Amino acid sequence: MINRETPGSSTAAPLGNRSALAKTATVEAGGSAAGRFDSRDTGSALWLMAPALVLYAIFSLLPIAATFWLSFNSSAGFNTASSFVGLDNYAATAADPIVWQSLWHTLLWLIYHVVLAGGLGLALALAISRLKVTQVFFRTAFFLPHLVSLAVVGVIWANIYDPFYGLINTALTELGLGAFTQGWLSDPALVLFSVNVASSWQGFGLYMLLFIAGLQNIDHTLYDAAEVDGASAWQKLVYVTLPGLREVTTFVVSLAMINGLKGFATVFVMTNGGPFYQSELITTYIYRLAFQSQDHGRAAVLCILLSLLAIVITLVFNRWRARLSK
Amino acid sequence: MLKFLAGSVAALAIFVSGAVANAQTLKMWGPEQITEPLVAELWNGIKADFEKANPGVKVEFMPPTGTISNGAVQSAIQSNVGPDVILTNSGIGRISIVRNAKQVMPLTEQYEKRGWKNQIYPWLYAELKGQFGGDVYEVPDGLDALGIWYHKDLFAQAGWKVPATWKEFETLLAAIDAKGLQPIAIGPRTTGSAGHLFGNLLQSASGKEMIGKALRKEIAWDDPKVAAGAVRLQKLVEAGFIKKEMAGLDLDGASRLWFNKRAAMFVAGPWFTANARKAGYDLVNAGYAPMPSDNPGEAIPTGGVGWSWLVPVNSKQPDLAMKWIDFMLSDPVMKKRAQAPASTMIYPRELTGIEPPTPVLKEIFAAAAAGVGYNPSVYLPATVLDTYFQVIQGLISGQVTGEAGMKQIQAKMAEAK
Repeated sequence: MINRETPGSSTAAPLGNRSALAKTATVEAGGSAAGRFDSRDTGSALWLMAPALVLYAIFSLLPIAATFWLSFNSSAGFNTASSFVGLDNYAATAADPIVWQSLWHTLLWLIYHVVLAGGLGLALALAISRLKVTQVFFRTAFFLPHLVSLAVVGVIWANIYDPFYGLINTALTELGLGAFTQGWLSDPALVLFSVNVASSWQGFGLYMLLFIAGLQNIDHTLYDAAEVDGASAWQKLVYVTLPGLREVTTFVVSLAMINGLKGFATVFVMTNGGPFYQSELITTYIYRLAFQSQDHGRAAVLCILLSLLAIVITLVFNRWRARLSK
Repeated sequence: MLKFLAGSVAALAIFVSGAVANAQTLKMWGPEQITEPLVAELWNGIKADFEKANPGVKVEFMPPTGTISNGAVQSAIQSNVGPDVILTNSGIGRISIVRNAKQVMPLTEQYEKRGWKNQIYPWLYAELKGQFGGDVYEVPDGLDALGIWYHKDLFAQAGWKVPATWKEFETLLAAIDAKGLQPIAIGPRTTGSAGHLFGNLLQSASGKEMIGKALRKEIAWDDPKVAAGAVRLQKLVEAGFIKKEMAGLDLDGASRLWFNKRAAMFVAGPWFTANARKAGYDLVNAGYAPMPSDNPGEAIPTGGVGWSWLVPVNSKQPDLAMKWIDFMLSDPVMKKRAQAPASTMIYPRELTGIEPPTPVLKEIFAAAAAGVGYNPSVYLPATVLDTYFQVIQGLISGQVTGEAGMKQIQAKMAEAK
């Protein structure tokens, strides 16, 4: 039975909100609200939502609309008159081999980030979660890189990768492993991975903390039961720990994918997309087109492409997750 | 007593509001390397002189976060709280970016009105007038002259001579390599640095005239006569005289190799004196010579306008910006800068009776006395520049051949308006 209250019938709720609160309570109680809001309610709801809607429109909807508009125009900059060019920017983008190259690099970058940062986060969480005394120390130490700005991380790692003075090649040479020295930022086959290591090093700390929180929520009696059943450490990991982390893993993978798609700063600082576009991402190419070449139309097309990519990846991932949890 | 207090407060308020109303602040983008004590001393002195000559005016330096090439200048202007006057790396390629985006004011009238056209070399004024159909958007502050820097002591100890021909240059590279040193250091992650060496190689193989024609689209960039320089770079990499690993270095990384004498040569301009000083390198030991040319008598540095003054369209103090440029072009300021130990460039007009503060600058001025060739990095259209720099990286990392790389540059050049 729907308990429809009228204004004034409740003494607990503040005067102006009583009707809305009552209806919320009614709907939560299982009743149907369809057709029961009158126009006054809708008006109040809109007024209450207005500040958020206005901000959302200014900071999200308008820029999205402007980007679409820009993608059909030729514009050399914000101060210049733009002219409608139809689908020319889209055609030019499709014909540009660097776009496809950077799209491929973006997908690779995303996978590297999920595997490296997410994987390292999980591994370290597993390694330190059982520590009693030193866990806080390790947790803090491993989280610290996350507090460093990506631009600074880029500068640090560019020096670590320096082929002549860098830490890695110098250490390899000193250890008599000179044959393994590499041009970490010059070898086309290595450069994207090398830069991603730097970016993932900055990001894994957050994922580690999330995994630690997830590990703390696993019921310990499950481990006791597994112990009684004679399960090995590996079996406990596979049959107790990892299933127990499913929700956190889903969240971490989503977060890592979003962060992966946003990859920009380390590439910009460490290679600027080079050598010869071998570390070019969609984001760095957007910057190059918009702010170096002042080709805002094509940059807008790439922004739309990146958004579509994010939507497709999220949809595919969510569908996969839903199937998995059935 | 209360009346007195109220009166005092009112008087103070009037005084403060009057002072605020009269105070003018000129925000200047630059100068670079202001954190270096000698540079800071010079520029703070110039600033103080200007403020003294213009009571009520404050000059505020905005340390540059980048150049037009990496979009920093454009972003600063776009912010609308950016600089009133800008000192930055220039050249037609860069200026066309901000000019096409309508971010900088035309200064053509000012050249006539303020007599700026008589304060720079006539050939330089003619060149500027020819770039945008008679309109001028920059006031040159300094010219670049890019050539080979070498260590005098290393060369003397090994008995190496400054090469006069390309053949001698190749022999020298082989001798340096045999000694276990890097013959040439380059940091192509810094786009300018990539262009410095490449521009020199293009000129050494094809000559100034040919590169000028390519820049004016009178000859294709993939024509063998122009592409010869790119093939030259490819061969230097294949011979191991330029290590592929250098594709991962930036200007700082490459110059570190040179300052530490692990590399024998480096292609740079007069501005490299500032980097050298910062690195604690003894500038007396630095030698400078143009890259040898296949065309007899054409061994000259490459270069062009290196730095210029620009006035953003949204400058809050356009009149003050013009006054500042007047001041910077004045004889006392230019001479003060040319003689200062922090001096790092060739000035845009002839300055008589000036002794360059370092011996290497003297060598650079002498090498550039007969004129400089083209550094394509500052002449190419903005839409081509990116491909140009990436092709240089591709050549150094061994991903593209000289001919194929020049084809890519030509394709972009054909698209450029």
